Amino acid sequence: MSADPARAVGPLTPSSVPPLGPSPSRFIFTGSGSEYFRIWVVNLVLTVLTLGIYSAWAKVRRARYFWQNTRLEGHVFDYHGRPISILRGRIFALVLLAAYSWAFQFSTRAGLVTVAVLCAVGPWLFMRAQQFKLGNTSFRGLRFGFRAKSSEAYRVVLPVLVLWLSPAVLFAVFGEYRQPILIFSLLTVVFIPWMHHRLKAYQHGRATYGDRHFAFGRVTRHFYGVYVKGLIFVVLGAVLGGVGLGTAFYLLEMEAGIPGTIAKVIFGAGFALVTYVFAWPYLAARLQQVVWISTHLPGVSFWTECKAGTLFGIVFMNVALTLLTCGLYWPFGAVALARYRIGCMRVASIVPLDTFAAGLHAGSVTAAGDDALDSFGLDLGI
Amino acid sequence: MTSRGFLACRFDGRSAESAAVIFRVEGGILKVEAQDGALIESGHVKSVVVSERFRETPRLIRFRSGSTLEVDDKDGALARALENAGLHVSPVVRLQGWWQAVVVALAGLVALMALAYFKGLPIAAKWAAERMPHTIEQRMGEQVLAVLDENHLDPSTLPGYRHRVLTRRFAEAAAKAAPSVPYRLEFRATEKDLINAFALPGGIIVLLDGLVKNAANDDAVLGVLGHELGHIVHKHNTRQLLQSTGVGILAGLLWGDFSHMASSVPVVLGMLHYSRGFEAEADEFAIHFLHVNGMSAKPLRYFFVALRAQRGWRPAQALPEFLTTHPSTDDRINRLEKEIEKETARPAGTAEPGTATEENARDGDSR
Repeated sequence: MSADPARAVGPLTPSSVPPLGPSPSRFIFTGSGSEYFRIWVVNLVLTVLTLGIYSAWAKVRRARYFWQNTRLEGHVFDYHGRPISILRGRIFALVLLAAYSWAFQFSTRAGLVTVAVLCAVGPWLFMRAQQFKLGNTSFRGLRFGFRAKSSEAYRVVLPVLVLWLSPAVLFAVFGEYRQPILIFSLLTVVFIPWMHHRLKAYQHGRATYGDRHFAFGRVTRHFYGVYVKGLIFVVLGAVLGGVGLGTAFYLLEMEAGIPGTIAKVIFGAGFALVTYVFAWPYLAARLQQVVWISTHLPGVSFWTECKAGTLFGIVFMNVALTLLTCGLYWPFGAVALARYRIGCMRVASIVPLDTFAAGLHAGSVTAAGDDALDSFGLDLGI
Repeated sequence: MTSRGFLACRFDGRSAESAAVIFRVEGGILKVEAQDGALIESGHVKSVVVSERFRETPRLIRFRSGSTLEVDDKDGALARALENAGLHVSPVVRLQGWWQAVVVALAGLVALMALAYFKGLPIAAKWAAERMPHTIEQRMGEQVLAVLDENHLDPSTLPGYRHRVLTRRFAEAAAKAAPSVPYRLEFRATEKDLINAFALPGGIIVLLDGLVKNAANDDAVLGVLGHELGHIVHKHNTRQLLQSTGVGILAGLLWGDFSHMASSVPVVLGMLHYSRGFEAEADEFAIHFLHVNGMSAKPLRYFFVALRAQRGWRPAQALPEFLTTHPSTDDRINRLEKEIEKETARPAGTAEPGTATEENARDGDSR
């Protein structure tokens, strides 16, 4: 096992903290598929029976299972999120999302008002979501946290949000100028790595553990590098998916006269799935490498030995078996993925971790922010 | 009462330093002692939060003071001690600990989803569609027509008198079959002269030139229009929309932590299934429509036969039934033939048996 983080990500070297001291510690994930399967089934049944309300409780039970099975140096993580806060957050997000989906169909003015509302509350929501997620995660009796400041949230998130929403808004308002807007939309794609990096830097750079602050080195260039190479896998997946599925559907259409619209939808879903299987493992593995090697606690550095090839194998198996078992493999797949990704994480500190931990104290954020923490739970998959 | 001590790791919540302690359950009281036996803290079993027991994780016990204990519970001794002390395990946790119950729950879930999908949603959508304001449906229909006009449809090229004749005959027939149902007949054409007619929300029926040109006579056209009127009478468009929204919600509940992609496929399949049911219902209405007006179902049957020939119909049912939007043309023809048999058996039969020609069908017209 390589203990040299510099090798793991090629040219990128951690500048502030070399991994000195004792050998690195590995994270271990101890969850099992058969155990999580039962939690998953019970969550699913209760969520359906309560028309979705239980989903907030289900989320807490799931998060607890995954965090409590994550182990570092013999101690486990814990999750404290309150279901009722998550439910409140989900209802709010659902209303906002529904309004955004339908407002433009109702009228352009209603659409613009919704977009304005989205821009006004979006950055604040993002900040609160980070605060909720980290503030409700603990390790060795101390909470993680997020140093939240509204002005900073708007400065960081608003440009990303505006850039993200602009193509849809332009299409809705200036529908007749299709070509220029299409070109503009393609141009915004160029900013995706920039947007992703900006949000990640904000998430990691403002995180805290106890009274220590995480730091995140700016690595926009490396994000672009990963995304550009990842594009090769996107194209590879798209070509393979397009040719394979295209042939299959062409034959089906010739043989059976499959109705065009249905073929298109199934083809589209299959195409997206194949592209995802090819591109996501590479992007996820490489971006994790870049993100973690750029993340530091004072005196502590992180990295991951997650390999794109291994991740691809796991994702491929997960997708194939999930499809074959009509979804029943899903919880097993989730555990397999977590076991690999968490098991790849490494942490090294200048002094032994136990000694480091002994000097750590509860931060002021957790002491003061309990109320704010419970007011709003929102999980964003970013 | 002496109790067994459990070795535990304690975090006081103020620093991340761990301390090895002894944890005891005595009556309803939980005690934390230092290695030398000195009491560090204690709490009533109701005042602490104990994490669920998982196979590989230690139990986490959180005291009111903010301190946390990590206690190993692989052999279940701690679980028993806590239960004896009066700590209740939630019914949800009990349920998932029991394999048989999990399997039963899963089977029940599948049955429930099937019931909701096949019975619950159609009833709910019908109920809601009947209460939906007509103006909303009208607005939806006009929007769809505007989009179709812009992208797919051209103005009709049939001579004006054909429009007038068809409009008048359909108006008379519709007045008899469904007197209080508002509708509007629109003539359009397509590039390849598609043989089709369709209904939009709010009562708009679009008739394509291709259908008028390829139908043997106007009775066949009226039969098809009767079918489309059936869609409008039963509010199929609105129900379809509501049902597919419902399927989307069900899929979202099930695959909420998958992706949107996974949940979009059931929606499509759901839409197909429903539209087959609706087509059959509209066919029934078309038969009613023709009978009320004293017309035979024969021209409609010929039309379907011609349609089958024209589409290059393949005999093999290569496509599974759930992937098709319409009941197979064979089924529809069979259904119409049964109806025609009944016609011939009726004393007021409108067409001579056996000699079904275009003229006969017209003669049988009792106007």
